[in-house]
Amino acid sequence: MELADTLRPDGDPKGGVLAHLERLETRMHRSRKKLEEPQTVQAEESALVTEIQKLRRLRDKLRAEVKRRQAGFGLLHILQVKASTANVEPDQTWEITEQEVLERKWENLKAVLQAYRFTGLSGKLTSRGVCVCISTAFEGNLLDSYFMDLIVQKPLRIHRHSVPVFIPLEELSAKYLETNIQHFLFTLCEYLNAYSGRKYQADRLQSDFAAFLAGPLQRNSLCNLLSFTYKVEPRGQSFPLCARLLYKDLTRTLPTDVTVTYQGMDALSTSWEEQRASQENLFRTKPLHHVFTSFARKGEMLDMSLVS
Amino acid sequence: MDARRVELSALQAEIAALRRACEETPAPAENATRGQKSFQEIYQSDSEGWESSKDLRSHLGHLESEILFLSTLTGIKIRNYSKKTKDLTSTEMTEKSIKKVLQRHRLSGNCHMITFQLEFQILEIQNKKSLSSVITDLNIIMEPTEYSELSEFVSRAEERRDLFMFFRSLRFFVEWCEYRKRTFKHFKEKYPEAVHLAEGAASSCMGVRSASQPGFEVVIVWRIQIDDEGKVLPKLDLLTQVPQRVLELDKNRVIETAPLGFRNLLGVLGIEATLESLIKLLCTEEHARSRH
Repeated sequence: MELADTLRPDGDPKGGVLAHLERLETRMHRSRKKLEEPQTVQAEESALVTEIQKLRRLRDKLRAEVKRRQAGFGLLHILQVKASTANVEPDQTWEITEQEVLERKWENLKAVLQAYRFTGLSGKLTSRGVCVCISTAFEGNLLDSYFMDLIVQKPLRIHRHSVPVFIPLEELSAKYLETNIQHFLFTLCEYLNAYSGRKYQADRLQSDFAAFLAGPLQRNSLCNLLSFTYKVEPRGQSFPLCARLLYKDLTRTLPTDVTVTYQGMDALSTSWEEQRASQENLFRTKPLHHVFTSFARKGEMLDMSLVS
Repeated sequence: MDARRVELSALQAEIAALRRACEETPAPAENATRGQKSFQEIYQSDSEGWESSKDLRSHLGHLESEILFLSTLTGIKIRNYSKKTKDLTSTEMTEKSIKKVLQRHRLSGNCHMITFQLEFQILEIQNKKSLSSVITDLNIIMEPTEYSELSEFVSRAEERRDLFMFFRSLRFFVEWCEYRKRTFKHFKEKYPEAVHLAEGAASSCMGVRSASQPGFEVVIVWRIQIDDEGKVLPKLDLLTQVPQRVLELDKNRVIETAPLGFRNLLGVLGIEATLESLIKLLCTEEHARSRH
C-alpha cells in the first residue's frame, strides 16, 4: 500500500493518525512542487489529475477524522493508546480504523436486532420461512411468550406454533394471513396479550386474595368466564356476594358483562342495592386483583380506626 | 485545465480547514476511557472472529438483512438501542440464592412518519422457583406531536408501563392513518371538483361540495382514536355547512338528520362505500341541475 511507503523511510512513527496525515500532506506538497517545474503539457495535465485524486483522498480521510472526533468517540485517542501499548504496526493504522468502524456498526446492529423483542413481536429467518415470537405482558409484568413457525410458500402457512388451542388462530389466519401479515401478527398479539392479562388477574386473585373467596374460583381455560363467591372483609361478618364476569371481547382484559348478587337474596333495600351496583361497577372498570387490593386497603383503614 | 486548477485550490483550502478542525476538537478524556474499554471488549471477545474486514462485512450484511426483515414484519424500524445493567443483589439475597438485577434500556426508531424515543427499566428478580421481570419505569418521547390523539395515549402507556401495548397500538394507529390518507387521496383523484382537502390528504377532514350549489358543503371528519385499553378505532362524523335560508327550507329536516344517517350508513356499507355514495349524491345533483 502506498501509505506504507511514506512511513518506512521515516523510521520511527510519530504518534498516530494526525502525524500520518501530516506525512501524507508533505508528500502531496512535494509532488505539487514538482508540478510547478516546467514540463510538457500532457505530463502536466496527468500530474494535475493524479494530484487532485490524492488530495480528494486526503480530504475524505480528514473529513472522516473530524466527524469521528466531533462524535466524541475518541477514536484517535484509542488508536494512539493502542498503538503505543500494543505491538500494532503503524502502517496498519488505517486498516484498523476501518475495521473499528465496521465493528462498532456490527455491535450497534446486533443490539438493534436484540431490541426487537421489546416491540412484543420478534422473529428469526429460518430455512423455510420465519419463526415469529410473540411476547406478552400485563401492567409491566412480562409474561409468557408464544412462538409460530411460518413457511413462506404459496399459500403462506403455519407449520408449528405454541398458541393455546382456545385462541381463534384459524379464524385470524383465514382472515389476514395471506393479505396482511403484519395485521395478522399484531392482532394475534392483541389476543395473546389479553389472554395473558386475564390469566394473570385470575391467578393473582387465587394466590393473593384467597382469604376473600368463600369458595373456589371457577374459570375456563380462556379465562374469559369467571365465577366466584367473595366477601368484602375476609374475617368479618359481611354478607357473601356472588360475582360472574364475562369477557366477551377477547382482545380486552376488562369484562364486558358483570353480574354481582348478594348470595341468596333477591329483593334488596336501596342501600344494599347501591352497594351491589357499586361492586358491579368496580369489577367492570378495574382489573380484578386491583378490586381486591382496594378491599384489603379499606379493611386496613378500618382496622386502624378501630385501634385508635 | 483551469477547472482542475480551481478544484485543486479548493481541495487545498478544504484540507487546511479540516486540519484546523481536527486540531481544535481533541478527543475528550472520558470518552476515550469509555471507548477504550469497549474497544478492549471488542478485541477480547472477537479476537478470533474478525480475520478481515471482508469477514466482518459479510456478517454485517447478514445482520442488516435480518433487521430489514424484522422492520418489515413489525412495521417498526429500530435505529438505536443500548442497555445498562446494575446488579442489586445484596449479600443477604445471595445467601438465599436470590438475584436482583436492574436493567436500563434506551431505544429509538420510527414507525412510518412517527419517531419515538423510549427509556425504560426492567427489574429482574430470580429466586429458586422462578424468574420475574417487571417493567418498573417507562418514558416515551414521540414526534411529530401534531397527532393530538397520541399524547393522551402515550401518557396512558407510560402510566401502565405497557411497552407492548404502546408498539401494538402505535402500529395500528399508523396503519389507520395511512389508510385514511390513501382513501382521501383516492376520492380526490376520482372527484377532483367535488372533493376538497383543505389541510391535505394527511389531515382528518375531507370536504365535499356540490359545484352547482356553492356554500353547500359537507365535511367528513375522520378521527382515529385510541381507547383505554389501547384499541385503535376510527370515528367518522359528518358536518354540514349550509346557508341559513336552506336550513329554513328544509322542512323534512334532511340536513339535520344527515349526520345520524351517515353513521348508520357506515355501519351498513363500511367507510369507502359510504363516502363514495355521499360524494355521488352531491355530484349527481350537479349533473341533474346542469341538464336544465
